[in-house]
Amino acid sequence: MYTLLSGLYKYMFQRDEYCVLILGLDNAGKTTFLEQTKTRFNKNYKGMSLSKITTTVGLNIGTIDVGKTRLMFWDLGGQEELQALWDKYYAESHGVIYVIDSTDEERLSESKRAFEKMITSEALEGVPILVLANKQDVETCLSIPDIKTAFSDCINKIGKRDCLTQACSALTGKGVNEGIEWMVKCVVRNIHRPPRKKDIT
Amino acid sequence: MFLLKYLFQAHFSEGYLPYLAVRGAVSSTVQTGGFFSTIFSSLFGTREMRILILGLDGAGKTTILYRLQVGEVVTTIPTIGFNVETVTYKNLKFQVWDLGGQTSIRPYWRCYYSNTDAVIYVVDSCDRDRIGTSKSELVAMLEEEELKKAILVVFANKQDMEQAMTPTEMANALGLPALKDRKWQIFKTSATKGTGLDEAMEWLVEALKSRQ
Repeated sequence: MYTLLSGLYKYMFQRDEYCVLILGLDNAGKTTFLEQTKTRFNKNYKGMSLSKITTTVGLNIGTIDVGKTRLMFWDLGGQEELQALWDKYYAESHGVIYVIDSTDEERLSESKRAFEKMITSEALEGVPILVLANKQDVETCLSIPDIKTAFSDCINKIGKRDCLTQACSALTGKGVNEGIEWMVKCVVRNIHRPPRKKDIT
Repeated sequence: MFLLKYLFQAHFSEGYLPYLAVRGAVSSTVQTGGFFSTIFSSLFGTREMRILILGLDGAGKTTILYRLQVGEVVTTIPTIGFNVETVTYKNLKFQVWDLGGQTSIRPYWRCYYSNTDAVIYVVDSCDRDRIGTSKSELVAMLEEEELKKAILVVFANKQDMEQAMTPTEMANALGLPALKDRKWQIFKTSATKGTGLDEAMEWLVEALKSRQ
């Protein structure tokens, strides 16, 4: 009887919590994406004005609830020097969102190197990765095929994991919902990294 | 009890002069707009943000406080007790508490933790010998229940000196990557030169406005 009741209680009041890292070079739009996501998925969240966002030298956090799943975001600074901090978070994360600035062709190869280094890390094995081609609202930006070609030699390093490249604009919000929904589906499906259980408070 | 009295007196003798000077300046502007400001605050209910400036002794906390408030470098002596000032920045009022950082008075920091919105943790970027102490004080502080919701801003101070630690070095030395459920940010500052403080305050204003 106790088991039944506690099971029912858990079914009703417990949420599976997954941690998602947001990575990418500086000025790719990681914090803007996080703020846009928080505004879209939390009804009462006022959000900070997107134009006021400055360089992150540290960590921004955010949580959203999608159905019975709770996603907790860690948005890290992307400057070259700060990339040394990324791997401290790998072991505990369930998914990675990698943001690329589609308007910055010059730094695309730099972004690719950082991406390569991240996906070859053992601590991230099997973790689903969402690649966001951000700033698609700018007319002169690179298209998805362009970016896929530039990242083509990473494909065999991706290994056995879910990976999606999604066009998005963090500023206008285009593609944000699709990306998040895909991420939710993948982290739930990935049985190798069980979620943290948290009571709804 | 006796000690608290002592602390208070120490504060008074030290922070008295600049406090008075600014008080005078503020009250003259308030009187004319007093009526409207009462209406305004009752409409929008703006609460003063409570901010603590903490860190080891000699990190530059008092210099930062007065730099923020009067915009000048003032000559400071080691704080025994605390200094408290009201700083207005971007229409947001801050009540800023600068607590003494010496070993013997660090245990009293916790008396000030309740209702704190943000903690500015000041670290001397050149003091590599005591960065370990700085870390353990920070870790002990962040474990406090009362500071669970507080935003953490680290000022890597004294960046005008050579051999100052970089933000990454400092983040690792302070064990910041272990903080998984708190927003934090590091700023390179120099209180004597006045660099980095504006950006840091601007960030803090935005961070406080958009708390989830």
